[in-house]
Amino acid sequence: MKKGILTLAALLLATVAMAQNAKFPGNVTLKSLDGKSVESSVIENGGQPMIISFWATWCKPCNTELDAIKEVYEEWQQETGVKLVAISIDDARSASRVKPWVNGKDWPYEVYLDQNKDLARAMNVGADVPYTFIVNGKGEIVWQHKGYQPGNEEELIEAVKEALK
Amino acid sequence: MKHRQTLVLALLLIAGTSAATAQGLLGGQVTGNIQLDGQISRRDSVIGSEDVPQKLLSNARADILYTNGDFSAGLRYEGYLGPMLGFRPDYQGQGIANYFVSYKTQNFAITAGHFYEQFGNGMALRAYEDRYLGIDNALRGINVMYRPFRGIILKGVIGQQRYFWESRGLVRGADAEVSLNDLITPWSEAKTRITLGGSFVSKYEDNSEVILSDIPGFKLNLPRNVATTAFRMDLAHGGFGLQAEYAFKGKDPNDLNNYTYHKGEVLWLSASYSQKGFSANIQAKRVDNMGFRSVRTEAYKEMLYINYTPAISKQHTYAFLSMYPYATQSMGEMGLQADVMYKFKKETLLGGAYGTDLHINASLIKALDTTQIGGIGTDGYTSTFFGTGDTYYGDLSVEIAKKLSSKVKIAATYGYVVFNPIIEGHAGDLHHNHVLVGDLTWKMNKKNSLRFEAEWMGSDSKYDAAVDDKRCGDWIMGLLEYNFAGKWFVSVSDQYAYNDGVGNYYNLSVGYTQGATRLQVGYGKQREGIICIGGVCRNVPASNGLTFSLTTSF
Repeated sequence: MKKGILTLAALLLATVAMAQNAKFPGNVTLKSLDGKSVESSVIENGGQPMIISFWATWCKPCNTELDAIKEVYEEWQQETGVKLVAISIDDARSASRVKPWVNGKDWPYEVYLDQNKDLARAMNVGADVPYTFIVNGKGEIVWQHKGYQPGNEEELIEAVKEALK
Repeated sequence: MKHRQTLVLALLLIAGTSAATAQGLLGGQVTGNIQLDGQISRRDSVIGSEDVPQKLLSNARADILYTNGDFSAGLRYEGYLGPMLGFRPDYQGQGIANYFVSYKTQNFAITAGHFYEQFGNGMALRAYEDRYLGIDNALRGINVMYRPFRGIILKGVIGQQRYFWESRGLVRGADAEVSLNDLITPWSEAKTRITLGGSFVSKYEDNSEVILSDIPGFKLNLPRNVATTAFRMDLAHGGFGLQAEYAFKGKDPNDLNNYTYHKGEVLWLSASYSQKGFSANIQAKRVDNMGFRSVRTEAYKEMLYINYTPAISKQHTYAFLSMYPYATQSMGEMGLQADVMYKFKKETLLGGAYGTDLHINASLIKALDTTQIGGIGTDGYTSTFFGTGDTYYGDLSVEIAKKLSSKVKIAATYGYVVFNPIIEGHAGDLHHNHVLVGDLTWKMNKKNSLRFEAEWMGSDSKYDAAVDDKRCGDWIMGLLEYNFAGKWFVSVSDQYAYNDGVGNYYNLSVGYTQGATRLQVGYGKQREGIICIGGVCRNVPASNGLTFSLTTSF
C-alpha cells in the first residue's frame, strides 16, 4: 500500500517536471558496427537536429520505416540538415547480422548496437519497436513516436522542421 | 528490511525530485514509462488458453527515472493482479520490483541496486529482461565500470538474481575489453579493427542439501563455487567481419543436466562480408552443457539463468514461419546458419524501376553425438567435438520484396521448416512444413494505407489428441490491416486448420497512437509468438477473449 502511494507521488512529481524537455543521454555505452565500445555522446550533429530510431533486424515495421526514409533522406538532409541515427536492439542472437544487414540494405545511416538496451532504458523506449525520437540542436528530446505506419515519415519531417525553429 | 530500503530510496528520490523542481530543476529531470496490459479471457481447450477464475488478468508497470548530470536513480512499480496467461503464478502481487542509484562519468561508473549487464555476447553473464515472456533476471547488487586508459574497459559485478519478488543466488563477475586500435597508437587509423575481451563469472551456493547418487550408497559432493570463463574477439576489416566467443564452465551438477559432473563449453563463430547492396553472413555454434544458473535445484526452466546462449537460427516474423520457434538446447547442440541479402539495382532486368530485394536464409541445428556413461553423480556422457546426432531444427527461406509503383509494395516468401518435437520435450516424428507467404502494401495516399497478407502451410504432421500440439496439420491464413492517418489501425485476421489439424484463430484488433502513447484492443484467439500489427512488433502469449494494452512514455 505504502509503496503504491509512493509510486503515485513519484508519478505526480514526474508530471510536474515534465514541462522541461528531457536531454539526450550522453553517458551510455553502445557498440559501433566495428565492435568497439563507444559513449552515446559521440551521437551528435553539430547543432542540427537528429532522428534517433530504435529498430531490430527481426522487426518488419522498423525495416519498412528505415527503407521508406532512405528514399527521401537526401532531400531531408538538404532541406533541414537532419541526421538519422539507427540504434539496433538486436541481442546476441542477431547482433552479428546487423552490420551486413545495414550494408545489404544500403542504408545511409549511422548505426549503433544497444544489445544490453541501456540507451533504450535511459530513453524509456519500453519493449516495443520501432520507436523514434527527434533531438533538437541543443540535445533536447522534442518529439517521440512509437510504431511505424506508412505515411508516418511525413509527420516525422514536419516535426524535424518544427525542431529547427 | 527490503521494504525499508525501498522506502528510503523512494523518499530520497522524491526529495531529490522536489528539490530539483523547486530550484528550476537544477538540470535534473524525471522521465518514465507506464504500461498496462490486460485480458478478459475465456477458457478454450482447443487453443490451450486456461480457465481464469478472476475473469480479468492484468500486468502493469511504471518505470520512473531521475537524472541529474552524472547521477541517476530509478524505480519500477510492477503489479500482477492476476498475472496474464503465459506468466508464472509466482508473479502474483504488486510492489517496487526494481530500484537503483547510479553515478556515471566517461571513465567510471557505479550502480547500486538492480542492474542489467552483459559481458560480450552473454555466454558467461547476461542479466536481462523480456517483459512479455516474464523473464527478468536482473542482478541486485553493485556494478562497476572503469576505464584506466583509452582502449581498456574493466567491469565488475556482484549481486543476487531476481526471482519473482525476491533475489536468489550469489553471482560475482569481472570482464575486461581491449580495443587494440585505441590502445596501440600506430594502429589507431588502421583499416583492421580488433577488439578482444575476457570474462570470469562465478556463482556461490550453499551445499547442505542432500542429493543421492545413482551409484548406491553415495550422496553428491556438491561444489559451492562454480565458474564460467569466456574469451571473445571481434575483427573488422572493411566489409569483412569475424567474431568469435568461447566459454567453458566447471563441474556444475544441477537440475538441467541431471546432476552430472560433465564440464560445459560453448563455441560461437560468425563471419560476414558485405558491400553496398550485398551481404553474406555465416554463423556456427557448438553448445555442450552450458546451462549456468544460480540455484542448482531450480525447477522452472527459464528462471535464474546467469548466462545466455543465443539461438543462431533466424527469428522469423510471418506467423507460419515462426510457428515453430527454435530455442537453444543449452544442454547440447551444434548449428550452422547462413544469410544472404542482395539488392537488384534499379533499371535492370530484375530490378525494374525501383530495385528488388532478395533475402535467402538457411539453418541446420543438430544434437551432439553423445555416449551415455551414467546417471546422477557420474560424468553423465561423453561427446565428440565434431560429431552430430539427430536433427533438432532446420529451415530455408527465400524472400523477394519489390516496390511496383510509388504506391504498391509486394513481398513473396517461400519457407521450409523441419522441427523435432523433442526440443519441446515430446517424442515423435520430425515435422516437415512448407510455407508460402504473400504480402502486399498499398499506400493509397499520404495518410491511408492497406496491407494484405496471405499465408499457407502444408505439413506432414497430423494433430494427435494425446500429444496435443495445436500447430499440426495444414493451415491457411489471411490478414487485412488498414492504417488510417498514421494514427489509427484496424486489423482482422484468421488462421484456419483445413486438414489434419484443429483450430480457428480469428482476431480483430484496433489501435490508436498519439506520439509516445499507444492503445491497442483486440478480440479473438491468439497464438503465442511474435505479432507485428499496426506498425509494432511484440511477443504475446496464447489468449482467447478480449485483450488490451496501453503504453506511454514521458
